[in-house]
Amino acid sequence: MLQLKALHVEDFGPFKGHQTIKLSLQDGVTVIYGENMRGKTSLLNAVRFAFFGKVLGRGTKAMSLHKVGNWEQAAKGTYGFQVQLEFKDEDHEYKLTRSCRPRNGVSTPSGDDDYAVDYYLEKDANVLGPQQAEAELKRILPEQISRFFLFDGELLQEYEDLLSSETDMGRRISEAIERILGVPVLTSARTTLLRLKEKSEHREATAAQGDQKTREFGNQLADLHAQRQVLNEELQRLEGELDSMRSQKASLEEAMKKKERVAALLDKRETLDRLMREIEARRALKQTELQQAMSGAWCALLADPIRNATKALRESELALQTELWREDVLRGLQAHAGSECPACLQKVSSDARKRIESSIHGASDKERAEKSRELAALRRKLAALEQHAGAARTDVLRILWEAVEEAAVDHAAKKGERDEIAKQLESVDEESLRKTKADFESTIRHIDVLEKGVAKTRASLDQSKSDAENIQKRLDKLAGGNLGTERRRREMFSDLHRLFDEAVGAYREQLRKRVEADATRLFKALTTEPEYAGLRINDSYGLTIVHQDGSDIPVRSAGAEHVVALCLMGALQNNAPLRGPIVIDSPFGRLDRGHTKNIVRALPTMTKQVVLLVYDDELPPDLARNELKSKLRGEWRLERRSARHTALVPRKD
Amino acid sequence: MATDKKTIGITKANAAALAGLVSAGRFGSELDAAKFAMAYAIKAGVTAGSTDGAETKWNVGSVDPDGSMRSLLEALCPESAEPYRLAEHLMNEGIKSLAVKIGASGDLYETLFPAPPSP
Repeated sequence: MLQLKALHVEDFGPFKGHQTIKLSLQDGVTVIYGENMRGKTSLLNAVRFAFFGKVLGRGTKAMSLHKVGNWEQAAKGTYGFQVQLEFKDEDHEYKLTRSCRPRNGVSTPSGDDDYAVDYYLEKDANVLGPQQAEAELKRILPEQISRFFLFDGELLQEYEDLLSSETDMGRRISEAIERILGVPVLTSARTTLLRLKEKSEHREATAAQGDQKTREFGNQLADLHAQRQVLNEELQRLEGELDSMRSQKASLEEAMKKKERVAALLDKRETLDRLMREIEARRALKQTELQQAMSGAWCALLADPIRNATKALRESELALQTELWREDVLRGLQAHAGSECPACLQKVSSDARKRIESSIHGASDKERAEKSRELAALRRKLAALEQHAGAARTDVLRILWEAVEEAAVDHAAKKGERDEIAKQLESVDEESLRKTKADFESTIRHIDVLEKGVAKTRASLDQSKSDAENIQKRLDKLAGGNLGTERRRREMFSDLHRLFDEAVGAYREQLRKRVEADATRLFKALTTEPEYAGLRINDSYGLTIVHQDGSDIPVRSAGAEHVVALCLMGALQNNAPLRGPIVIDSPFGRLDRGHTKNIVRALPTMTKQVVLLVYDDELPPDLARNELKSKLRGEWRLERRSARHTALVPRKD
Repeated sequence: MATDKKTIGITKANAAALAGLVSAGRFGSELDAAKFAMAYAIKAGVTAGSTDGAETKWNVGSVDPDGSMRSLLEALCPESAEPYRLAEHLMNEGIKSLAVKIGASGDLYETLFPAPPSP
């Protein structure tokens, strides 16, 4: 079993210079305390770098090695870093040293390409050759299962994907679980036996071809075997490609998840751009309407002068008109002398007639014509005034004007919002995000095509197998040459393959039951909810909380998710052929004090060696000491020297 | 009898202000803006005068196709014997005053929709 003895870091992250942390080989827990930004994740990454040469950022994306070296050292012109890990496995002492140094000739590196990563492994003080070292490391801690030994508490959320059989992340974790549980040993044997069975079938067909009586069946079988081989190769190719596409999809999904906020901003910016275009179109339309209406706006300014002028002209018109009417009446009376007055129907007296005649003589025809012209001119002016008074209304103008203003204000508000988003997106590589999105969509399409191809090839294979079985049955009734020997060989491999096939299923079932039982045992110790009775496992090793009334708890909080994931970790450790230390970064961040206490108490039962990277508020030292008691094997502190320099010191308070 | 003008012009000094009024976007043409300026001048109390040095911009037929503007001016400014000469003067005076009042903003809102007098 792998056990860590000491970790030496040199200029790794905030760990300036050479620093060492020693770990006890006795069963128990070592706690390393460090506040935010002191280097807890860097320590976890140092172990990861030693084993796999990789450093992960938040999430699971590989970090640029150029950024890993100590910044204070880099500022002084010293680049690169080194990690040395001392560990024990199967009674052997190992020392693994991995370094990242600027390549020869590079004095000021600017990117990962300017570095060379080298490692060597010592076993019992002997340096192993590169191939042997690689094989040893793969045996001791395969990278595919490292997620169960070195993990970030924040990523425990990922295990929820196991409850949904359709996610690629869930599929990847499920595969990793089977790997740590040793299932591939059996499935590989089953695959080998299948190949041997097919080979023996081919040999039997060849033997049948050698005999006159069985030749025809032999030929048909040989053809079908050749066809099956081609189909198998095609299936293998498609499945390989599908697997790599699914991994690619999961990585892209993860990348997109990380860029979710940026993607949301980009979407919002696009929406704002669209809205701005719509508002601008609305504004332009209203502006045109307003411009048309504004051709009469000048009349609106003249409303008062027009009203006043109209009043004055109306008075003049009335006076002039009255004067002309009076003249007309008088002329009429003169023309019809002796008749009655048309107004009062009285006889017109001679005195009155004389007055009429003198009045008429006072107004010449010329003057009358002048007055008529004057009246006509007055009326023309009045008509013009009325015409323009009609155009002097401002209500429609005001509606249009305000619509244009409103659109302009709306546009400005949206523009302000858009500019704010643009500022936030200034340093964002939009092209990369667009490419990720496009790649994701193209990967999904590719996966769809591959899945259809796999299904079609499988159907052809099934048909080919069924045809071969029918011929085989007919051939079984015949004998000849060395057919008997080949037949027995084929039957043996066939039986062995069936046996392993059943064994895989049975082993998986047993494992699931064991993992479920161990996870339930741990869960009962960890949960603070007395009504929770345990956990139920699904085919993908996803765990569902079960209530004491037997029903499933359909929704769980992030904290509950962490508790369940830790139970799975413990159960896997307990059932895996390969065991090792657990190094966890910030495991209690989302947990309340009750759960934290329960988990701390249960940690020593999960595996022999546990290293916790925590901050004081997450796991108060007194709580750790009280709960772990003699199982507390060491306490370390990440002490600040400067923003870019942390010292690893034993905690003594 | 005086002969009225057949064309209407804008002085060089006012031409830029007129273009500014139009570019603010509220008017569809310089003629609409010039008529607005004319009305603004009348409202401000200008009722007579003539402008020298105006460069021909429009034919009166384009400015007042049905002659109604002429009649209106005759009604509003009865002392003037040459309505189109007066119109030209009013346009130029109005442009000058508007340019001073609204400056570069081109905001005619308060000019067009004055706030009602407070009670």
